[in-house]
Amino acid sequence: MIQDPCILTDVTKCIGCEECVAACKKANGLPAEDPPPRIGHSRDGLSATRWTTIIRLPEGRNVRKQCRHCLDPACVSVCPVGALQKTPEGPVIYDKSICMGCRYCMMGCPYGIPRYEWDSVNPSIRKCILCYEKLRNGELSAPACVAACPTKATIFGSREELLAEAHRRIAAEPGKYIDHVWGEHEVGGSRVLYVSDVDLGFLAWRDPRYLGREPLPHRTWEALRKVPFEFLGMGALMTGIWWVIDRRMQREREEADDRPRGEPADRAGDAPEGDGGDER
Amino acid sequence: MTSRVQVFKGVLWFLVGLGAAVTIVRFVRGLGATTALTDTTPWGLWVGFDVMGGVALAAGGFVVAAIVHIFHRKKYEPIARPAILTAMLGYAAVVVGLIYDLGLPWNIWHPLIFWNPRSPLFEVAWCVMLYLTVLVLEFSPVFLERTRFQSAYRALLRLQLPLIVLGIALSTLHQSSLGTLLLIMPFRLHPLWYTSLLPEMFFVSAICLGLSMVILESSVTSWLYRKKPETEMLAGLARIATFALGFYVLFRGWDLWRQGKLGLLTEGSFESRLFIVEMLLSAVVPLVLFAVPRVRRSETGVFLAAAMSVVGFVLDRIDASGLAQVWATRSTYFPAWTEFAVSIGIVAGFTLIYLFIQEHFPVEEDLADELAELRRYQLFELPRFDRQHLIWLGDPGFCARRIFSLLFGVALGIGLAFTPWSPLVARTPVERARGGDVLRVGFPAGTVQFPHAAHIERIGKERGGRDRGCAACHHLVKPGDRGTPCSECHADMYLPTRIFDHELHVDRTGGNAGCGECHPPGRPKAAGSAKACQDCHRRDMMTENERVKEFRRAAAPGLRRAAHGICIPCHERAAKRPGAKKPDLHRCATCHRTPVPHLEQLLEARRQAALRRE
Repeated sequence: MIQDPCILTDVTKCIGCEECVAACKKANGLPAEDPPPRIGHSRDGLSATRWTTIIRLPEGRNVRKQCRHCLDPACVSVCPVGALQKTPEGPVIYDKSICMGCRYCMMGCPYGIPRYEWDSVNPSIRKCILCYEKLRNGELSAPACVAACPTKATIFGSREELLAEAHRRIAAEPGKYIDHVWGEHEVGGSRVLYVSDVDLGFLAWRDPRYLGREPLPHRTWEALRKVPFEFLGMGALMTGIWWVIDRRMQREREEADDRPRGEPADRAGDAPEGDGGDER
Repeated sequence: MTSRVQVFKGVLWFLVGLGAAVTIVRFVRGLGATTALTDTTPWGLWVGFDVMGGVALAAGGFVVAAIVHIFHRKKYEPIARPAILTAMLGYAAVVVGLIYDLGLPWNIWHPLIFWNPRSPLFEVAWCVMLYLTVLVLEFSPVFLERTRFQSAYRALLRLQLPLIVLGIALSTLHQSSLGTLLLIMPFRLHPLWYTSLLPEMFFVSAICLGLSMVILESSVTSWLYRKKPETEMLAGLARIATFALGFYVLFRGWDLWRQGKLGLLTEGSFESRLFIVEMLLSAVVPLVLFAVPRVRRSETGVFLAAAMSVVGFVLDRIDASGLAQVWATRSTYFPAWTEFAVSIGIVAGFTLIYLFIQEHFPVEEDLADELAELRRYQLFELPRFDRQHLIWLGDPGFCARRIFSLLFGVALGIGLAFTPWSPLVARTPVERARGGDVLRVGFPAGTVQFPHAAHIERIGKERGGRDRGCAACHHLVKPGDRGTPCSECHADMYLPTRIFDHELHVDRTGGNAGCGECHPPGRPKAAGSAKACQDCHRRDMMTENERVKEFRRAAAPGLRRAAHGICIPCHERAAKRPGAKKPDLHRCATCHRTPVPHLEQLLEARRQAALRRE
């Protein structure tokens, strides 16, 4: 398997034959027919039994949608048990035996890729795994979808190569493509790149360019890395407040005891309450 | 004395029964059968209310513990135990809710051994586990107080202060981490809710909600058992709540101003209204009410303000984890009744446990003693329980009260009668219907009633009756086309479509006199100046959620699927019959005259696969 695997899809070359879909289903042992979608499902066509799909745009373009295999994947960062893992080579894979089914990965993915087996009592997260196992043990030399593409609209290679290729294509035919490689920088970049003559912002919940170049996990880590300090700080603060107030109350009680009888007794009891109130 | 509590408990038992019925379906048939969740909306009511809301509702425990034990406001001591009890049961309810919501609930313990410290949910999971343990230890002196296990009781009492400090620190962490949870989804959460200060916001709102919940709970308990309400104490808590709520309002307002998002408030969108309603309910109105000393001291006033605030803050959690994401996902998720039944059932069940503990253990001053006294005089019949030895003496059946068992059973029956497998509610899979009169087509923005028969009739006519015109929608002329989106004909609902029949409209509007119906007088009579179709045909076009954009990617199944699904299976069956006259009609070559190698192989492979499956 090559290091740094990557897929480049050229939207202008795709004829929408869905050979990639069929090949993907075959390689991953998925049923050929998809069950009817649940009411309210997003209509992009991806499902637990369809890991890549073709979206037909009214502009007459066909756009292949699949897992983007982000360089710093949000789904991997949010999985509380690490059932989704980014492999050393790069593809993001899933381990059912660890998963507990919280579906946070589905919420965290900016592209809305992971799908769920809603009708199962023992459900898994399903998504493209870039044919990881098969690539690693040499069964395949390229992901099944890429190998099946008759027009070479989707190609496989190292990320560096394909980025260069994408920019070369854009530069070679000025005006044909939108001058943007989808997946190069958005939320830290991904391993599935697109060049296109139509806007592909719809592939994400919101146009990923709006989200900036910083990987999403940075946002949660910014808060999470403070956790140990918050824990210790809060503990120390609470103990401190308790100690200060306790000591003062003790002193006041002693003073009240020292006071000769005859003085108004109720003052001693009220004082700490009043003090505490002012302090707040 | 008794009737109020008994009626209340009866209702709770009924709700628990409904929840129990759904529980069976949930664990036999899975999430799909019991929830309206989809890949677009993977988190629903059970996360929004039971988990996010539940954790925040239980915040009263650490807030009151801090007030009483850290700030030494001993005046509030009487409510410390009920508050900690609520927190303990609240967290237990969260765990129960999670068992329903997790797809693989038997793996709920996995965060113990599989670690991912980068995940906010991992942090929440650990904190909740630890805090629940701390709460049980904090509360167990109540169980042990009047038993013979005095040494354990005293040991736990000595541990009280460290436990409380630990509890506060843990609460701080996970209350805010629930906010961190949402930091990963700037693309889903509406800008009015999304802020880098979400963790801090969640922590502050948890304190506010905790205070309101303690007030609410105390006033409800005294109403239920006809006790004298703790007016002084509640007024004091309400005063503290004004500070907390005031801080929350200022903090949230400042945060919006800091990000320059104040303008979004006057947008008039669903989200801006939702935000305003949420803020009014949760903080602004209760703040005003609590600030008035007369309201603070009035039984109803304090109850109303607290109830409003509780509803508002729970709404905040539901907004953040669901409603405020609709603008991005265009989700049409609305919880199924089964989801409500589980959420309400869990709350009802834990309320029953709460009342049971209140009645049998020294949680609230004198309440358990008073009830014991009443029981001695047979005024208040309850299962007999000896708290000296922690054993049951009475009827071994837990539901000593027959009426409760009856209500539970009836609810269970009703629940099961309406479960998805029941013949009473058997649903037709309309999306699969072929050639039906009207198909319900689910779009991300809503459901459209698609008049299928009317389309066949009209398109068939247009094609001069040569065929029914299936291919007009199920197949375009483009190679490899799979299907036709509605927008192919209804290009833009606000513009004239290319299927517009002018002659027909002239006839309908009464010849030349009717031009003005669509073309404004004095302007050129052109398509561009005419009235939009939807001004007249609004009701023909869509039924709900008129969002035009969503029509773009909704497609009729292609001819490939429509024809192959209907023609081939039938001809295949016919071919198998003995003496079939045309045994080859199901072969590709029947329709595909020119060889299509790719397609041929593909279809052959698919059919083989299908045969193997059979």
